[in-house]
Amino acid sequence: MITDLKQTPFYSIHVRLGARMVDFAGFNMPVQYESIIKEHEAVRNEAGVFDVSHMGEFLLEGNDVFDFLQYIMINDLSLLEPSKGQYSCMCYDNGTVVDDLVYYEENPNRFRMIVNAGNVEKDLQWLNEHIGNRDVKIMNLSSKRSRLAFQGPKSDEYLQPLMDVDLNSIKRFYFAHGNLNKTPIFIARTGYTGESGFELSFDNAYAEKIWSDLIQTGASPAGLGARDSLRLEATYSLYGHEINDSITPVEAGLFWLVKPKEDIDYIGKKILMEQKTHGTERIIVGLNLLDRGIIRENFKIFKENVEIGYVTSGGYSPTLKKTIGLGIIKKQYKEIGTKLEIQVRNKKLKGIVVSTPFFRNI
Amino acid sequence: MDYEFPDNLKYMKTHEWVRIEDKTATVGITDFAQHQLGDIVYIELPEKGANLEKQSSAGEIESVKAVGELLMPLSGKIIDINSNLVDNPELVNSSPYGSGWMLKLEYTNELEIKDLLSVEDYKRIAEEEN
Repeated sequence: MITDLKQTPFYSIHVRLGARMVDFAGFNMPVQYESIIKEHEAVRNEAGVFDVSHMGEFLLEGNDVFDFLQYIMINDLSLLEPSKGQYSCMCYDNGTVVDDLVYYEENPNRFRMIVNAGNVEKDLQWLNEHIGNRDVKIMNLSSKRSRLAFQGPKSDEYLQPLMDVDLNSIKRFYFAHGNLNKTPIFIARTGYTGESGFELSFDNAYAEKIWSDLIQTGASPAGLGARDSLRLEATYSLYGHEINDSITPVEAGLFWLVKPKEDIDYIGKKILMEQKTHGTERIIVGLNLLDRGIIRENFKIFKENVEIGYVTSGGYSPTLKKTIGLGIIKKQYKEIGTKLEIQVRNKKLKGIVVSTPFFRNI
Repeated sequence: MDYEFPDNLKYMKTHEWVRIEDKTATVGITDFAQHQLGDIVYIELPEKGANLEKQSSAGEIESVKAVGELLMPLSGKIIDINSNLVDNPELVNSSPYGSGWMLKLEYTNELEIKDLLSVEDYKRIAEEEN
């Protein structure tokens, strides 16, 4: 029932703009305002504003937060410093993924964490279950704060006049606390589009004002449809597709996330380090079609009529103007240039393994 | 609802429109359908000369987010397809009743025409789905 869906603080703005609203992870979210392709192109060529307030935001505080995260995350937090963020996964013992996320070090005893909307409750439970005797307190700020992504080649130029911090001083994956037209925000140079840009977080009270300030810069509202086509071109994994509780980060090509962390026995380490060293039976590859058509998630992949895997994400690339996709296949077929077939309803279309990312401007 | 539904066409509840002229019918998808699908990026149509039954699949319409099926409004033979749509599928978004037409057929059973919907009946269906 549509009435049971949660709303972000931008809900009435989306409706006023005539967005098509869909259920995404229990939130009533805009999939498009006018056209996914136009919104996609606005982000590739200028700048776009995405409501990502459905995502979860936690604040972790305490003397043992750093050690706790070193135990529960596969990436190495010793690479961090205050004002820097890091992409990581937290995994089960068998190496499959609880969630992928970004956390930001405010100071060694205080981290801000942004997680997938559909995993908020699961993540909280997982984190709390593993705290043990450590001094760690987790605050769920998801519904108290709003989150927007401001992405595109003009994002610096558009945003700087409104900001009281020098955006050039925020390097990629770093963040700052500043004011946007006198309103306090958290601003990180991160994103999910393959363009330069920022992700913002701020108190719900400022939501409408910040949206309106950002739109007045000339940026276009962009919905979840464009967010998905942009991230697929940029080849960023999406939880539930490339990674989930049956695919490991190494299988998903995120082997660089798996760190040795010599003295730390983090969850999933044994199997992930083994996979990173020796490889996996299956691996995610980039796909193009040689025939005309569109491939979508879960379509089966064949080599000479033998099933070898399935499509994890697929669709039309507005930038490249052709069909692109990612698929998980048996490792012996992973070489670039390998021809294969993809079952599209009642017929098999010819496809080919290609290098990724399909497109990035950063 | 600001969709356009020409009075001189017949419709199907699955959102095809049909323009009947003598023994032939031109078929496409309605303004409502193109709007629901969003940006259309690929269309597959049958071979010319194919004989297809009413309600059988006569094509697939892929948008960025979804796939729709084109159903035969009447049994008959495909006598023409809009080959412009191969390279310009977005014509269906910009002109669903004009340059975005999909196929022409020669119908074989005139009695089937009475099963098609009038513009008033179709409008009610589109409004309910909206």
